[in-house]
Amino acid sequence: MERTQIIDSFAAAARDPLSYAKQWKARTGRPVIGSFPMNFPGELAHAAGALPMILQESDDPITVGHGLLFPFYCGYTRSMVDQAVRGDFDVLDAIMFGDHCVQLLGAADAIRMQLTNTRVIFFQLISSMCDPWTQGRSEESFAKLRAELEDFAGAKVQDEAMHASIRLFNKNRGLIRRLYDMRKKGIAPLGSVEMQHVVKSSMVMDKAEHTELLEKLVRIYDSAAPLPARNVRLHLSGHFCQAPKPELLEMIEQCGVTVVGDDLYHGFRYISTDVPEQGDPIAGLARWYMDRNTGVPCPTRVQNNVDWDAYLLNAMRDEKAEGMIVLMAKFCEPHMYYYPEVKEAFEKADMPHLLIETEHDGMALESLKTRVETFVEIVKHRQAA
Amino acid sequence: MKQHVMGVDFGSTTAKTVILDLNGNIVSHAVAHMGAVSGNGVKQSMKDALDAAGLTQADIGRTVSTGYGRRMLDEADKNYTEITCHARGAVAMVPGARLVIDIGGQDSKVISVDSNGLVSQFAMNDRCAAGTGKFLEVLARAMEIPLEDMGATALAAQEKLKISSMCATFAETEVISLLAEGHPKTDVLGAVHKAIASRTLGLVGRVGKKGPVVMTGGVANNPAAVHYIQEELQMPLILPDVPQIAGALGAALIGLDDYRAENRQLLISEAEDMAREEQMAADKACVPGCRGVPEFAVDPREKQPVPGKLKSLVGSLQKHF
Repeated sequence: MERTQIIDSFAAAARDPLSYAKQWKARTGRPVIGSFPMNFPGELAHAAGALPMILQESDDPITVGHGLLFPFYCGYTRSMVDQAVRGDFDVLDAIMFGDHCVQLLGAADAIRMQLTNTRVIFFQLISSMCDPWTQGRSEESFAKLRAELEDFAGAKVQDEAMHASIRLFNKNRGLIRRLYDMRKKGIAPLGSVEMQHVVKSSMVMDKAEHTELLEKLVRIYDSAAPLPARNVRLHLSGHFCQAPKPELLEMIEQCGVTVVGDDLYHGFRYISTDVPEQGDPIAGLARWYMDRNTGVPCPTRVQNNVDWDAYLLNAMRDEKAEGMIVLMAKFCEPHMYYYPEVKEAFEKADMPHLLIETEHDGMALESLKTRVETFVEIVKHRQAA
Repeated sequence: MKQHVMGVDFGSTTAKTVILDLNGNIVSHAVAHMGAVSGNGVKQSMKDALDAAGLTQADIGRTVSTGYGRRMLDEADKNYTEITCHARGAVAMVPGARLVIDIGGQDSKVISVDSNGLVSQFAMNDRCAAGTGKFLEVLARAMEIPLEDMGATALAAQEKLKISSMCATFAETEVISLLAEGHPKTDVLGAVHKAIASRTLGLVGRVGKKGPVVMTGGVANNPAAVHYIQEELQMPLILPDVPQIAGALGAALIGLDDYRAENRQLLISEAEDMAREEQMAADKACVPGCRGVPEFAVDPREKQPVPGKLKSLVGSLQKHF
């Protein structure tokens, strides 16, 4: 199978996740469980025999959804509600909500009111990550989620099934991490839109099918030699729940940029951490939840011994990145609150960065291009100096 | 080697061209008002600048473009953003400047620069044409006053009115309401310029207020805009003689750096050439003072044979040949 064919398969699922879900359901006759980002353990739903799918922001303009959420909610939550009201989520047999921020909670309530016939599973995860009771409370949450899924599926979710799902998900994450490593070394020249297709489709597709395609893709690059690159090496940061728009990523790369790393949710954040494969699977998922925040720190969690800004600077040193573009979705409160710390740390470290605020309803790309090009010129001048 | 370089600012409402000699002196410049990103306007400004310098495009060693249409200019060898070019041009016009306020046709930007004229931080309008030349143009039309008379009229404002909307369309509604309420045009225009100044101060806040401050771009020719911005900033604005050409000048200077670097070996003077040859000869010498002549066996300072090993080496070589 050619590289292009594999990427096209990923892109098709990434662009239209709900159509993929319909086809998968027709093919397998099994249920589809949609979930909000960012910490839902897909392994549990997979072990229960369902297709776990992280619900994605749609490109369509917000229409009827305006009647339920205010325009100062982020594009992701408004799009979720809009898709629910339009009936796009009819394919889902259940929806799983988490509680990362007030806007997601508001969207969950609005969707619950609309989709009265859809099973709604709500679970809370402790956001304080370094207390002595964090592990225990996380285990309680995941155990409760397991019980709800068993009730939904009408069957017990066995430990063996969970271990098998954990192994499959770990393999999938590990393969994507290999691609990241290959991209960093210049062996796998994957553009950031292609990388987004890889990760986003992993959030959507049947994990075994996705893993099989990933193995083929990794094999293509396995024996490749590093390609020389003359572009400015940048790290992309931010954008939690929703994927940055592909046209924005393309525009950034058109300005003479090679993206060598990211901590986007539709990127490295999603696949940073594996679940322990031994021992009690619920305890393993709780460990994974806690380790993820040290793997790639998240501003929605609180952990005194972890700094997102310090993580970013270290990651960039490792990636040999010369600057960072921060993509901040309007109005992502956790990101907005944390950004001043990142800005201060980057200024102190004399590391250039550019903040771009993104919107669901389109952006002035030409004006943004001028800003990105200027940023690239600044980085180049610094290199020359 | 050619003796001139050119910078072209392909702006949204005007086109500007600057021609420099290889010492960085402005040989000619031209500004053409031909409408939005007009190819004709750019051609006209380039032609005017070339004619004024008595040159043709073939005499230009390097052309760098900037502005919204920077990627559309076939003659350009390279292009840079207007932010980079305005910073470079403004610092060339006003050495020591640390902040550049550029208000052009469709965007406004505040640029913090280092001592080399390089951009360290920048902020630009990111909503719409709020606080730009286009904003003034729309309101001039609404108030039926020629654009070029707006500034002088606004300076006669007596009462302090407020226009709260920065959207040109909504501001137009506010302006019409104020006029309908019987406020004189002078006061309403004062409020329009005050609104632009507040917007500019917001951009300054994002990069940090510092001086000296230079104002470039077409709106720098508007005395009321300058007056109200100075009032908001509480700092004087330095205005270059021709503020509109800062971007084109910056582009030309970047082109000049590039052209000089590429032709470094052709740019040295006769005296530098002689000095370099002497240095090379000295570097080649195997004994002190030798200038590369075949008397290498003799120290030319003493005209004495070189003692020791070198002498015997020379002797054995002579025997061989």
